Amino acid sequence: MSYIQVEHLRKSYVVRKKREKGSLLREKSRIDALSDLSFEIGKGELVGYIGPNGAGKSTTVKILSGILTPDSGNVLVGGRVPWGSRKEYVRHIGVVFGQRMQLWWDVPILDSFSLLRDIYRISETAYQKRLAELTDALQLEDILRTPLRLLSLGQRMRAELCGSLLHRPELLFLDEPTIGLDSISKLALREFLRWENRENGTTILLTTHDMEDIHALCSRVMVLGHGQKLFDGDFSALLSRYDTVRTVLVRFEEETELPGIPSVSVSREGESLKLVYSPKELPTAELLERLRQTGTIREMTIQPQNIDHMIADMYEEMAL
Amino acid sequence: MKSYLTVFRLRLRMELQYRGAMLGGIICQMVFGLILIALYRALYASRPQTMPVESVVTYVWLQQAFFRMLLASDPDLTDKIRTGAISYDLCRPVNLYGFYYFRSLALKMTGSLMRAVPMLLFAAVLPAGWRIGLPSSIPGLILGICALALGLLCVSAIENINMGFTMRTLDSRGVQAMLNLLMTLLCGNILPLTLFPDSWQKVITLLPYAQLLDAPIRLYTGVYALSDAVRVLGVQVFWTILLVFFGTWLWRHNQKRLILQGG
Amino acid sequence: MDTIKLYIRSMGMLLKSQFQYPASFFMQTLAQLVMEGGEMLALILVIDRFGHLGRWEPGDLFFFFGIMSVTFYLTECFGRGITGAFPSMVRMGQLDTLLIRPRGIVTQVLCSAIDPRRITCIAVGTTALVIGSRLSAVRWTFAKAFLMAEAVSFGFLLILGLFMIEAIFCIHSVKSVELVNAVTYGGRSACQYPATIYPRPLRVLFTAFAPFALVLQVPAGYILDKPLFDWPAWTAFLCPLSGAVLFGVIYMLFQRAMHFYRSTGS
Repeated sequence: MSYIQVEHLRKSYVVRKKREKGSLLREKSRIDALSDLSFEIGKGELVGYIGPNGAGKSTTVKILSGILTPDSGNVLVGGRVPWGSRKEYVRHIGVVFGQRMQLWWDVPILDSFSLLRDIYRISETAYQKRLAELTDALQLEDILRTPLRLLSLGQRMRAELCGSLLHRPELLFLDEPTIGLDSISKLALREFLRWENRENGTTILLTTHDMEDIHALCSRVMVLGHGQKLFDGDFSALLSRYDTVRTVLVRFEEETELPGIPSVSVSREGESLKLVYSPKELPTAELLERLRQTGTIREMTIQPQNIDHMIADMYEEMAL
Repeated sequence: MKSYLTVFRLRLRMELQYRGAMLGGIICQMVFGLILIALYRALYASRPQTMPVESVVTYVWLQQAFFRMLLASDPDLTDKIRTGAISYDLCRPVNLYGFYYFRSLALKMTGSLMRAVPMLLFAAVLPAGWRIGLPSSIPGLILGICALALGLLCVSAIENINMGFTMRTLDSRGVQAMLNLLMTLLCGNILPLTLFPDSWQKVITLLPYAQLLDAPIRLYTGVYALSDAVRVLGVQVFWTILLVFFGTWLWRHNQKRLILQGG
Repeated sequence: MDTIKLYIRSMGMLLKSQFQYPASFFMQTLAQLVMEGGEMLALILVIDRFGHLGRWEPGDLFFFFGIMSVTFYLTECFGRGITGAFPSMVRMGQLDTLLIRPRGIVTQVLCSAIDPRRITCIAVGTTALVIGSRLSAVRWTFAKAFLMAEAVSFGFLLILGLFMIEAIFCIHSVKSVELVNAVTYGGRSACQYPATIYPRPLRVLFTAFAPFALVLQVPAGYILDKPLFDWPAWTAFLCPLSGAVLFGVIYMLFQRAMHFYRSTGS
């Protein structure tokens, strides 16, 4: 039996429309945030959860973390119903909201941690052991006694992660954890998540708009749109389906006019020529052959399509 | 003139959008009025005073009705000061004092009128002894309205001075709270100024705070005779001019300081 | 026990963070002093002009003012999570972060804020109590001291309960939150004076619905040896319990509102 089981989940919100002129009552309309969503996640999996804004991602996370009760459907996480007995359930999960800090702003983060220890009723020995482990993995030693407000965004996010993992949750939800972080922080954060997933077997559900996060961390990805699951499977399989366009940057020894090649668009970029083509219509080998016939190549790079473009194409195709 | 009408209209629309909050506020204000009147009636029952209780009742209702006028009215400006965005404004070569003065005037007028009308209607239909009294005379009413208009000019000047001071301090909440208290106490909102010891009243009624609501109310209820009117309005005009001058100087000074500091 | 420990630790931490900005803290505390001092000045001026209020002498009036002020500001100080911080917690989504922790919501809300600036208001209230007890020549006994503590503690629950109505309004995203101020701040204003001076509707409001009269004033009457109502003496020890009853009822309504919050989502 899978660790997380979600069956036929439905949730709709009542939205008040703006009052129209002449009518006294405000019209209410229902918006389906989730319509018949089902999936399973095994213990220890690291799954990416993507979709455009308003697709229902955060509603799913809110339901799975026990904040929201769905209209209908079944959810079991480790054999427990999230909206059943809240206090018992949330002991086993951790949530990191990327833009919402849960640590205390004006006090040293170590003080925040020890308050979390009291909130989660963690025994002192277990707390010390876990804190040492996380401090080490997240490189927090130097900032433990610094108030949160004096930390950089990357340091804050690391402290937040530590705070939500102190009680050793079996399941961790991450909502946009790398938003606004610099590259070094992003890489360190991804490294840490891989470590936590591997060493402690923590199941991680990662919601993000940063496709690099997904690419680096998740083998499996779920795509949500209009409250429904549109794709569930291997991320690379998803990409290869939309990986239809490549770009070649080529620079010849001397100024050369390129003869027109069908299904290739050419533009000039500095001293190089930029060729965009589709490998399905024109095999790469054939294109290279043509280029070699044109002149002496000094330098050349082939780039796959940008992931964000692929995802944008995908959303477009799925009519989101 | 047109731009002030726009401010007025925008404000009206905004207030109507939050009509739930406005309604809640008005009802709350009415309950406060009723509680205060109940208290003064009980006090009068136990020891009557030379000034009739009806006059105190009218005083309380008019205070409650125009209470909004006293509160800092411009959330945009307070926000700008808190976030420091005001320094950009101060660097612009326009008469900022004038802009915010008239803005606050418009906001205060709309804000308090929208609350005053339902409040006064409510206060007029209450049983005798609780209801707001009629003005002492027609000229008294007219003079009272004139004095209220002057009070409005005066309170906007005070607000701009408060803002001028808060611009200089990093954290304004303490100063703001203190100035607000001074305002509510010396305006007669906590206790009608007419119930202050007679010797105190001689001084307090000359202070700028007494010009906002106390002076108009006294003209309305006839505590100030019509023959006093010239003196009363004169004091109001005097304070308004003085406070506007002081405020302009303060803002200009802030502006210079900011420019010297380089923003 | 464990919950009380958590509350005390949270308070310690919040105090620590408040004192990170000493200048601002000092100014605001001073402002609170001036504010409550202004209220007391109004009382002094009323006493100066009117002398007494029916059968209540100046000392009695100071005592009623003091007991209300001490109780109200103790609540605002230690119950700030409910009395002040809750609406913004709902608006900013902080309530969600409380829901993912294995503790009661009310506990966590109370643990999330303190307002030590009120200390000066409490000091003003205590001063009024001392003046009142001197002027009225109160003969303190153990029973009276106990009753005083009982009244203030249950008064704390009463005021907390009334502010929780506002919290419930917030959860249901009702905009007319200011309406609740009529019973909270209105109750404080009105019941600085003995409720018996008011006409019947107000008396009923502050006895049966927002029972400031039962919780604070019946005990105050007992301590002053001037019963508020013509009730037997022992009722003074029973009446404050109504504060706990009110708190209990509103606590249950609050839990239902939280249920609503979790099923509607905001």
